Formats: sequence, C-alpha cells, structure tokens
Amino acid sequence: MAQIPLPEEARRAAEFIRRADIVIGIPSYNNSRTIGHVVQACYAGLAKYFPQFTAVVVNSDGGSKDGTKEAVLGARVEDRHLLLLSTPLLAAHRLSFPYHGVPGKGSAFRLVFQMARELEAKACAVVDSDLRSITPEWIDLLLRPILSAGYDFVAPYYHRHKYDGTITNSIVYPLTRSLYGLRVRQPIGGEFGVSGRLIDRYLRRDDWETDTARFGIDIWMTTIAIAEGFRVCQSFLGAKLHDAKDPASDLSAMLQQVVGSVFMLMDEYQDGWRKVTGSQPVELFGFRFDVGLEPVPVNLDRMIQAFVHGCRDLSEILAQALAPETYREVASLAQRLASGSRSFNIEDRLWARIVEDFACAYKERAIAPNHLLRSVTPLYLARVASFVQETETMGSAEVEARIEELCLAFEEAKPYLIAHWDRLAIPSRAGRKRGAMAPGPDPRAASREVPS
Amino acid sequence: MISTFEQILQGVFQRLQYHLVTFLPPLLAALIIFVITLVIALAARWVLYKIFKGLTLDQFLRRTGVAYMIDSSGRLRATRLVAETVYWGLLLTGVLVGLSVFNSDLTTQITQSFVFLLPKLVVAGIILLAGAWLSQYLGRSMLVWAVNENLPAPRRLAALVRVVIMFVAVVVTAEYLDFARNVFLAAFIILVGGAVFGVSLALGRGMGGGMHRFIEEKRETEPAPTAERSLWDHL
Repeated sequence: MAQIPLPEEARRAAEFIRRADIVIGIPSYNNSRTIGHVVQACYAGLAKYFPQFTAVVVNSDGGSKDGTKEAVLGARVEDRHLLLLSTPLLAAHRLSFPYHGVPGKGSAFRLVFQMARELEAKACAVVDSDLRSITPEWIDLLLRPILSAGYDFVAPYYHRHKYDGTITNSIVYPLTRSLYGLRVRQPIGGEFGVSGRLIDRYLRRDDWETDTARFGIDIWMTTIAIAEGFRVCQSFLGAKLHDAKDPASDLSAMLQQVVGSVFMLMDEYQDGWRKVTGSQPVELFGFRFDVGLEPVPVNLDRMIQAFVHGCRDLSEILAQALAPETYREVASLAQRLASGSRSFNIEDRLWARIVEDFACAYKERAIAPNHLLRSVTPLYLARVASFVQETETMGSAEVEARIEELCLAFEEAKPYLIAHWDRLAIPSRAGRKRGAMAPGPDPRAASREVPS
Repeated sequence: MISTFEQILQGVFQRLQYHLVTFLPPLLAALIIFVITLVIALAARWVLYKIFKGLTLDQFLRRTGVAYMIDSSGRLRATRLVAETVYWGLLLTGVLVGLSVFNSDLTTQITQSFVFLLPKLVVAGIILLAGAWLSQYLGRSMLVWAVNENLPAPRRLAALVRVVIMFVAVVVTAEYLDFARNVFLAAFIILVGGAVFGVSLALGRGMGGGMHRFIEEKRETEPAPTAERSLWDHL
C-alpha cells in the first residue's frame, strides 16, 4: 500500500521545529466548543510536568467547518501562573493541520504519528477533542511511564458509568483479554501514550486504510502493542466525561469498525494468542479515587425489539455465522421474547460463544465481512439489554465484578474458540475450572516505580 | 408376380445396404468419438477433482470469499463447479465433433450455429452469474441495513432489490443475445415504475404518520436531549 506523505504544510512546520521530545495529538472534527479546553489542559500539563522538554501540540483535523482550527490556535493558556512550580524553559509549539486519506480518527492519528516521527519525539500522547474532564495531570499520566519508566504504550483507565462503554465491557475488553492474556481495562479508551519506538512500528504497517482509519484505530494500537511484546501499562485518569456522540452516527458501523479490527488482528496474531491461557494484570499508575459520573439513560424496550426483529430477519446470516448449538439458543431466546416474555438473560457463556463464532465466521469469510459484522448489532443490543436488566440495582464495584465474571467466561471458552478456529472437534469442558488456568504470558512488566 | 416381389425386396435391400454403407460408418465413428470424449471428460473431471483437492483450492476460494459469490450457502464447491464445467464442455464438444462426421447440411448448420453462438452464450452466462451474485450481495446489504435502521419489512425490501437487479441482468442478457428484447425491456420498465410508485407511496404514508407523531409528541412534551443517546454511545 502506498505511504501517504506528510502534508506539505506539516512538513514545513516539522522542518522549522526540527526536534521535539514530546508530541501531543488531538484529532478533531467540528469540536470548536470543547477543543480549546483540551488544548489548554495539554499546555498546562506540559508546562507543569515537563518544563525541561520541547513539545508540540498537533491538532489533526478532518476538515471542520465550525472554527475548530481557530479555537486551537486561539486557545489562551492563562493557567500557567496558577499551575507552575518552576518556570518553563521551552515553550510548546501549537499546530493545526488537516489530515489526508480516509476520513476518520485513524487517519488523524497517522498524521500525528508522522509528525512525531519527523520530530524524533521520545513520546507521544493522543487525547480526544471532545473531552470535558481532561486535566493537566492526564498529560503527566500518559507520558511519564514512557519517558521515565521505559514503557511503550500507556492505556487509559477511567471510572465510567455502568452503562457507558458497553462495546468495551461486553466485547472488546473480554475478548482482547482472553486472547492476549493482558488485562488492559480500556483498550479502546481514546487517550493513549505511545513511545517513539512503537510509533515507528505503527507507521511501518500497511493497514492504515482499513477500519483502522476510523474507529478501529484504538483497538488496533492496543492490540499491536500487546501482541508484539511492547511494554504496556495503564494510567488512572479519573472520570471520562465527553460530548455525546453524533446521534446520526451509526452504531452498527461503529461496531463493524471496532469488532472488524479485533477480528482482523486475531487472524494476524493467531500464532501468538493460541498459546495464551488465562490473563495477567497490567501495571496501573496514578492515584485512584472515586468520582461522580453522569448517568447514561438506556432504552431497554428498543434494544429488545431490535434483537427480536434482528433475529427474525437476519436468521439466514445468523444461522450461517453461529455454530448450530449457539444459534438454537439465540433463536429460542428471541422466540420467547417475541411471544411476550420480558425476562431474559444472555448468559456469559452464550455471549462468549456468540462473539467467538462471529470471529471464526469472519476468518472463514463465509459471509461478506461487512454483512457479518453489521449483523452483530441486534445480538449486541440484546446482550446490553440483558446486562442492564441484571445490573439495574448494582453499584459500580458490583458491576465491575460482574464484568470480571464475563471475562472469565471468555477465558474459559477459549479452547472452544481455538477448536472452532481450526475446525477441529470441540474439546470436552470437563476438568476445566476457572482457577485451574495456566499462567499467562510474561506481562513484560519491569519497574513498578514511575518517578514523578 | 414373384419377380416383382423379388425386385421390391432387392430394392429394399439395396436401399438398406446403401444406408448402411453411407450412414453406419459415420454413426460408428460418431459413437466412437463420443465414447472417447466421454472417457476423456470423465478422466479430466477426475484429474481436476484430484488436482484442486491437492491444491486445497476449495479452501482457498472459501477463505477468500470467492466460493460464496456463486452460492451464498457455500455448499457449492468451486472445485466441483470447474470440474463439472470442463466435463460437460468436453462432452458437448464430443457430440458436436460426432455430428460433424455425418457432413450433412443439418449437422453442419447445428455445428456452425453452436460455434457461432457459444461465445455469446458464455458472455450471457457470465452476465447472469454476475447479476446473481450482485443481487445476492446487494439484497443482503439492504437486509442488514434495513434491520439496523429498524425499517419495516426488511426482508421484502431485500427481496425487491434482488428481483430488480436480477431483472436488470436478464434484460441486459436478452439485449446482448438479441432475444425478445422489447418484451424484457417493457417488463423491466413496468417493474421499475411499479417499484418507484410503491416506494413513493410507502414513503408518503410513512412520513405522514411520522410527521403526525412528531407534531403530537412535540405538543405534549419536549423530548430530553439525551433520551436516545444510549444506543449510540457505547464505546
């Protein structure tokens, strides 16, 4: 695949700046309302925690028409005198460029990474432009493990409302954890810290124009970092409060991009994840504290209806994608709901099998990938509805414990996945207990101390 | 009387002999050619099965999705398709070569017509095959989209897409083969016109109802700005 060169404007800026230790990337598209605050937080973070480093803040824009660029370049950083413990030695540059290629977050990240490589940055952080809860400490938490402790990839760790981040909670986290054996709690969080070494690796790859170019970028970055043995850690950032997504954005398209990226990388790294059993915790930095969270309203009836209708109308695809036993269970569940019953539960074991069956169907190309991945939506909504019903009265700790149970179900179902993946006989589940799993791979954790 | 009877019998035998001498050798030759071709076709089919099986072509085509273009269920294997096509192609060639042995006007005409038509038939087959695949693919795209958009009767919409595309393929094929082109064209125009009319009616009715509900809801209460957020905010 042809490499997209750095846009002329960006190349000239890089030539002018020549070198920078830190690059902070902010992808945007019509975020003039919030991006100013994000830029201010980045500046304050750089000034407060990294005064001795040269830094560049790069806004990679998707062609905003609402004055996002002006908001970035015009953001006044007045907090310095409130935050500084020492005088900054070097001022941070501020740039805003439109990215080229497929419109999406992934393409925006590519421009940021290209700039980071061009400037020979030691570390790069990326943060979303719609954040309302970002503080200067986020910059420290995302960059410090790389600059001071030799980590390559810093994933975020947030407190989120129990109904927020359900693609993460029900698919991406359990599946990624069971596959690669590391418990990265927010693999598609949106804010990351990346070392120069890992950026080089990302830019050498040739799959930037796939789903990676859009919402698939987060899981793509996380998976490559884990699967290729880069040093991975997490930083606790507090609460993630951000603007509601565009209501016109399509859930099934989002699912397609995220889940498609997971499945695509499963195929690539199959030799690695086959050998992994169980999972291990990942180093978590930052002081953990409880925060108030915005409630997320859910429309249970609409989700259930989507499931019932989806099962009826997509039966042809689902029957082909799912194993016969799994399909029978899903169909009987839909039938019960269609006949008026309102109590239902998609068990963890069944959900794990559904996801794994879809992964195998994706590998087999039995159905066109876009049809297959978009057919996940009704089942995903059913799982979310089931989860909402089950956790209605639960507090956040209980919900977290519940998600842990789901992850263990995915880990237990891994032999099924491998057998199905290889089209071999499904091994007996007898004798496999949760506690009896073999230890996972070396999480590559080194120093637990991160000097601040 | 007897001599007349003898003459008639002689005539019959002479004609029989003439026919035997004239047609039996070519018939035998044609039969031999057909049998040889049958043996070659059977052997070719067997070899193709073995070769493609050895090359795991089926597996390759299934993995790349090519096999499913031909049959959405994936039951039809590409190896079988290739082997059977070669088998029937060889058999047909044998029949035509066998017929040409007779060297009569009729057999020559049949052979010539077939040779002349064959490329056109092949192209027509390809057009129909491509139409079948496209109708399957777009029909399924419509189905999945309609389900996720919660549209009414997604299966019917998908079926409509399939029928329209298949019909386009048939019209193009008929046009290409110069076969009843006006009939197919007229039917196609009627079908598309009907479909557009139906969609317009459905849209009109749907939008009318939707507008009515919207106005009613607006009148009753202002909807909460985050009411529908949950479905779209799951990352």
